[in-house]
Amino acid sequence: MSQAVLELEGVSKSYRTHLSLRKYWILRDLSLVVRDGEIFGFIGPNGAGKTTTIKLALGLLHPDAGAIRLFGLDASRREARRQVGFLPENPYFYDYLTGSEFLDFHARLFGIRSPERRRRVADLLERVGLGNRGDRQLRHYSKGMLQRIGLAQALVNDPRLVILDEPMSGLDPIGRREVRDLILELKASGRTIFFSTHILSDTEMICDRVGMLVRGSLKAVGTVEDLLRGETPPYWEVTLRGMGAEALPCGRVVSRHDDRLLVRVESRRDLHQLLTSLERAGALLVSVAPARRSLEDLLLREVRGADAGAAGPAIDKSADGGGIRHAG
Amino acid sequence: MTRARAAHKSRAPLAAAAGALVLLAALLQGRVDAAIGRSDSASPLLYLPSGRYLKVVSLGFDGILADALYLWSIQYYSNYRIEDRYEYLEHIYKDIITELDPHYLDAYLTGALIMSAEARRPDLALALLDKGIERNPSAWILAFDAGFLCYQDLKDYARAGAYFEKALRAEDVNPQVRRFYAEMANRAGDPRASLREWIAIHQTATSDYVRAVAWNHVRDLKVRIDLEGLAAGIAAFRSRAGRAPRHLDELVRAGILTSLPLDPEERPYDYEPGTGRVAYGGSRVLGR
Amino acid sequence: MPGRILAIALNTFREAIRNRILYLLLAFAVALILCAHVLSLLTVGSEEKIIKDFGLATIEVFGVLTAVLMGIGLVSREIERRTVLVLLAKPMHRAEFVLGKYCGLVLTLLVNTCVMGLSFFGLLVARGIADPAVLLVVLMLFLQFLLITALAILFSCLSNPIVSCLLTLALYVIGHLLWSFDLLKARLTSQAGRALCGAIYYLLPHLGNFDIKGDVVHGLPVPGARVAWAALYLAFYGSGVLLLACAVFQRKELQ
Repeated sequence: MSQAVLELEGVSKSYRTHLSLRKYWILRDLSLVVRDGEIFGFIGPNGAGKTTTIKLALGLLHPDAGAIRLFGLDASRREARRQVGFLPENPYFYDYLTGSEFLDFHARLFGIRSPERRRRVADLLERVGLGNRGDRQLRHYSKGMLQRIGLAQALVNDPRLVILDEPMSGLDPIGRREVRDLILELKASGRTIFFSTHILSDTEMICDRVGMLVRGSLKAVGTVEDLLRGETPPYWEVTLRGMGAEALPCGRVVSRHDDRLLVRVESRRDLHQLLTSLERAGALLVSVAPARRSLEDLLLREVRGADAGAAGPAIDKSADGGGIRHAG
Repeated sequence: MTRARAAHKSRAPLAAAAGALVLLAALLQGRVDAAIGRSDSASPLLYLPSGRYLKVVSLGFDGILADALYLWSIQYYSNYRIEDRYEYLEHIYKDIITELDPHYLDAYLTGALIMSAEARRPDLALALLDKGIERNPSAWILAFDAGFLCYQDLKDYARAGAYFEKALRAEDVNPQVRRFYAEMANRAGDPRASLREWIAIHQTATSDYVRAVAWNHVRDLKVRIDLEGLAAGIAAFRSRAGRAPRHLDELVRAGILTSLPLDPEERPYDYEPGTGRVAYGGSRVLGR
Repeated sequence: MPGRILAIALNTFREAIRNRILYLLLAFAVALILCAHVLSLLTVGSEEKIIKDFGLATIEVFGVLTAVLMGIGLVSREIERRTVLVLLAKPMHRAEFVLGKYCGLVLTLLVNTCVMGLSFFGLLVARGIADPAVLLVVLMLFLQFLLITALAILFSCLSNPIVSCLLTLALYVIGHLLWSFDLLKARLTSQAGRALCGAIYYLLPHLGNFDIKGDVVHGLPVPGARVAWAALYLAFYGSGVLLLACAVFQRKELQ
């Protein structure tokens, strides 16, 4: 088994508003392991406690109970963060600095010396596609550019672990694709990436493992396949024209519009049968869309379950985890 | 007309209306002033507490607070329309400004000036200056001012002399003060002390002018002292012999005087045996 | 460690000089200092005193304002805007952050005080009343600014800018009144009252230690020992305040 880069053990965190004595639990008995060299996606609805978890990992908050370790060191020790890069959600940076000044400043905080610093800043700017924008003040950067300079900042110390909080939020599809590519690139160069997001399609595409956080407890953790195993089998949605509903050999009509039908079939055999009958009837096939249960469905189910008060066990579906760990 | 131009056009009347309103308010202010009447006499600064309490709230800015009050006081006392303005003179200068800043020489000097010259209260002026002298012994100008006040207004030469002597104790005192001191001794009725001073001034004088002035005083004083001495001798002779001496030499022969003084021109003094008076033949320079 | 403190200090300085408020305050200060010349024409008697009093008061007021207005936001604004998160995620002590911010503002105040001091001295030279002791006053005022900045940073770590502003200004006011607490203690009869007065007198910052304006304007001598004691007081009290600020920030939860 590869080394654990980030470990949370039985971590609980609450907060109290100034005026009331009531405690609000943000995280309850959270345990999680991120291994070296993997891309770990941390998903969950807004307010689940993802950002709090990340802040705990970085020593920005202290847990009420439990232990957190980075590369084996306690997370509250500053040395633990030497190999870590961090991009916060909706990053706010000093807007009076230019891009180069900003990166230079962060490089100085790592004690990187002057000539090396200049080289690295130029390098990073190129890498995130801001090569010619280094001289503009951050206040004039667009959202996408800010995200990119933020990523550059997270990489300034060539970290082994990169922690990103909602790195894709607010980006257009091109931007999101670039971030995804960057994450894959980072993994290829031997780094570990831990990122949180509520955009599940991105997760499905790139993550090695996924952890699902709902209302402060980890409801599921494992690879995407593991999580979705045992979910209902896939189905297909076929859009056709020129064939009446009564002529369908199988499947269920989902919707009707003019002369078009949207038909749902539940198995490969049924699909084959339907397509063959279409051909024979001379009807027009407009589209075939395979749809399968996604993480989104799983998440919605868990959230609904949490709303209904069902404190179910966290299901660890990873191949080597085994067993059921209780949550909450 | 496009929308932009329309918006632009509507700005001009708005601006004009705003300007007209401000103008009206300004005119109104004139009316308000006339109606209420700016009262000159009741200035709230008159009722300030003593400087000792003001010092607490001045937060280390007592110097500049004293300056501000002083500047205000000058304006206040220059305003002749306020008839009862001298009522709080002492309070303002002695209790407030100079308590806030005991080293503020202008306050003592100007305050004393107003008190003596305008309010005709030299006693207040001297009390103020006394306070200043006590807190600022090296500021000779205060003692000098007090001395001059005694000399000119009160004609109290002894007191004036005492002040001038205080002034002389300061290190960098103006040499003229010494001459005042010397003259006061004379006027206060101690010509010998005066003479001593004038001789010293003459010896230490650095300019011909001063030397000449000192010499004139020495001359006149010598004449005065000599005449007084002679008159005293004559009186003593008269009480002994029952008559005036026929000649001044008789005073020497009678043992009343050891020798006869000569006047500055090295001549003996004129003596009239009939009246028993001595006089100086020449003219005194300073005419007294 | 000093490298990081220096990096944050220089960055804070850079932020300050790109902030318009600084220039506004400075422009006002220089304008007022030059007004001293006009004001002096109103007086009967010594114009020198008016110019010096007014000029030095202006430097003190604007220096304090700058220290407070820029100091109160130093830490709290970073927390509020979340810019601090990405910094503290680096391997650095939280204390380095606080100290770096402090040093940056000190540098800003140094530049500020020099500009004001030089314009004031220029005015004095132009009027022919230049007095090197005035520079000593400006130095002592600068020491005072350092102490006030430390207090402002402490409050910045504790709460939001408005409360910090009020508390720092309140301490400025009390700091100049403390001598009256000593008098009050002598007059009180109750033990508790005297103890309270004593506590207030010794625990709150004595800003009067740095005030030699009156002495210099009147030409009285200022012994070197007085400056030395003031500097020593600043060193101890200021360090204490900064240490407290670091401790507060160390335990702060950054939600």
